[in-house]
Amino acid sequence: MKPDRIAALMGKELREFRSSPAAVLPVVALVVLCTLLPFVVVVMLPRITGESMASDRTIQQVVAFARTKLPGLAGLSPRAAAEAFLFQQFLFLFLVAPIVGAVSLAAYSVVGEKQGRTLEPLLTTPMTTAELLIAKVLAAFLPSLVIELIGLCVYFALVWLLAAPGVGAALFTGRSAILVGLLGPFASLAALQMTIAISSRVNDPRSAQQIAVLLVLPLVIVLVGQIAGAFVITSTVLLLMSVGLGAVWVLLILFSVALFERETILTRWK
Amino acid sequence: MISAQHVTRRFGARVAVDDVSFEVRAGEVFGLLGPNGAGKTTTLRMLGGLIPPNGGTVTIDGRPFTRETAAALRARIGFLTETPGLWDNLTVEDNLAVYARLFDVPGAANAVERVLRLFGLWDRRTDRVVLLSKGMKQKLALARALVHDPQVVLLDEPTANLDPQTARTVRDLLRDLRTQRRAIVVSTHNLDEVERVADRVGLVNTKLIAIGEPATLRRDVFGRRLRVRLMTPSPPLPDLAAVIGRAGAQDVRIDGTALSMVLESPDRLTPIVIRRLVDAGAEIREVYDEEPPLEDVYLRLLKPPVAPA
Repeated sequence: MKPDRIAALMGKELREFRSSPAAVLPVVALVVLCTLLPFVVVVMLPRITGESMASDRTIQQVVAFARTKLPGLAGLSPRAAAEAFLFQQFLFLFLVAPIVGAVSLAAYSVVGEKQGRTLEPLLTTPMTTAELLIAKVLAAFLPSLVIELIGLCVYFALVWLLAAPGVGAALFTGRSAILVGLLGPFASLAALQMTIAISSRVNDPRSAQQIAVLLVLPLVIVLVGQIAGAFVITSTVLLLMSVGLGAVWVLLILFSVALFERETILTRWK
Repeated sequence: MISAQHVTRRFGARVAVDDVSFEVRAGEVFGLLGPNGAGKTTTLRMLGGLIPPNGGTVTIDGRPFTRETAAALRARIGFLTETPGLWDNLTVEDNLAVYARLFDVPGAANAVERVLRLFGLWDRRTDRVVLLSKGMKQKLALARALVHDPQVVLLDEPTANLDPQTARTVRDLLRDLRTQRRAIVVSTHNLDEVERVADRVGLVNTKLIAIGEPATLRRDVFGRRLRVRLMTPSPPLPDLAAVIGRAGAQDVRIDGTALSMVLESPDRLTPIVIRRLVDAGAEIREVYDEEPPLEDVYLRLLKPPVAPA
C-alpha cells in the first residue's frame, strides 16, 4: 500500500469539496446543532423555567448512580454534577454528527465517480482497490473531523463560560478524551467504510446513505440509555469499544475491497 | 511487447471477444478495427488488465496479468478510455497532477508541464475542466494517458471529437511514440486514421477476421491489380482489352480511359502488357498498382457470407 497514492486521491477529493463547499454543509449544520442543543437543554431551559435540573428527582437518581461510575463528578455541587453529567453525555452527539454528515460525502464518492465516468481512468492506474477505498474514506473523514474539532472547541469554551463552576474541569477527563479522540474517529471511519462499500455496489448515493446511517442507531441508544440512567459507560468500556470499532474498520476495509468489483463497475455502468 | 493469445471474453451468454490472438511489438502502431459492438473496447480493457479474459492470456513483455503483477503492469500502460472521464471541478493541471502522482512519476510537475505543452493546453492549465470544449477534453485525456511516459499505449478512439488540426497532431504524436519504441494499440472505426498511422491492423467482429499490414490485406482481399491510364480513348478500349487479354492479363476492366487488370506474375507480365499496348497505338499516361481504400477491404471482410442457394 502506497501512502502517496492515497494522499494524491485524497487531495483530489478535498479539492473537489473546496470547489463545491455546499457538500460539507450537512456536517457543519449538524455540528452546530450538536454544539448548541446541549446548552439549550442544560443551561437555557432551566433559566427560562426557573427550575434547576438538580432538583429533578429522576436526574438526581441518575447523577447519583453516575457518581459511582464517573470519578470526575465527585466533589461537585448537585447542580454542577447534574450539568457535568449531562454535558458529558451530550458529547456522544459529536460522534453522531460527523457520521451523519460525512456519510453524505462518502455516499456520493464512488457513485459520483461512476456517474461521471471518471472511475475507469482511475482503474487504469496502479492504484489498488484498498488504496482507492481508503482514500475515499479518509477524504470524507478529514473535513468532518476538522469541523467536529472546531465544534468541540466551541462546546468546551461555552461550557467554561455558561455552566456552573467546576463543570468545565469535570469534562476534561480521560473518558472524554477516549470518547472524542478514539471512539468518535473510529466510529466515523467504520461508518464511512461501510458507506463506501455500499456506494460501490449501488447506483444511487441515497441508497448508500440510508443504509450507512443505520450505524448511528447504536450510538443513539447509548446516549439515551445513559441519560435515562439505564447504564453508564466507563472509560474502560469506551476504550474497548474504540478498539472494537478500530477492528471493525479494518474488517470493513477488507470487506469493501472484496465487494468492489472492478469488472462489474466497468462493464455494467453506462 | 503486448501479446494476446486465444483471448475470449463472455458477458453472461453473450460472447464479446472470441479466441482473438495478436502481438504488438515495440515501435509498432497496431490498429484494432471493427464495427460498433465488435469487442474492440473489451479487447483493449483486457490488454490493459482492467478485466480478465475468460480464456486465453494477455502478457506484457511476457508477464501475464495476475493479482501480484497487475499494479506493476498497469504502471507501464497509458490508457485512453472510451470517454475522457475527467474531474470537471478540478483544473486542467490538477487533473494531470493527480494522475502523475498515482503513477509515481518522478518530477511530477515537469511531466505535467511537458504534456500540457505537447497538447497545447499550457495556457488553459488553470481553467476548470468543465469550461473546456469536447475536443479540449479529449486532448486532456490523451495528455493524462501519456503523463507517465508509458511503454505501452492503448487508445480507444483517440481522435473522436477532435478537429482536423488536432487529429493530425495526435497522428504525429503516434508516429513520435512509434519512433520512441512504444507499443501502441489504437481502437477505432475511423478507417482513414488507421490507414494513416497503423503499421498493422486487426479487423475484429467478435472474432479476429483478418490481420496484417493494410497493403497486404488489400492484396489478400482484392488481389494485386495493375491500372493503366491512357491519354485518349483511342484506339477503342475494348480492343486494347482484348490485346492485353491475349498477353496474359486477367479480369480486365474498363474504367473511363483506364484499364484495370490482374496479372498472375506482375513483375514478368507488366513490361509485356505495356509493350503490347504501345504497339497497338495506345498513348499511356500512367501505370500503377491499384490500392483500393481500406474501407473497401473492411466492408468486404465484414460482409456476411452469402448463403448457398
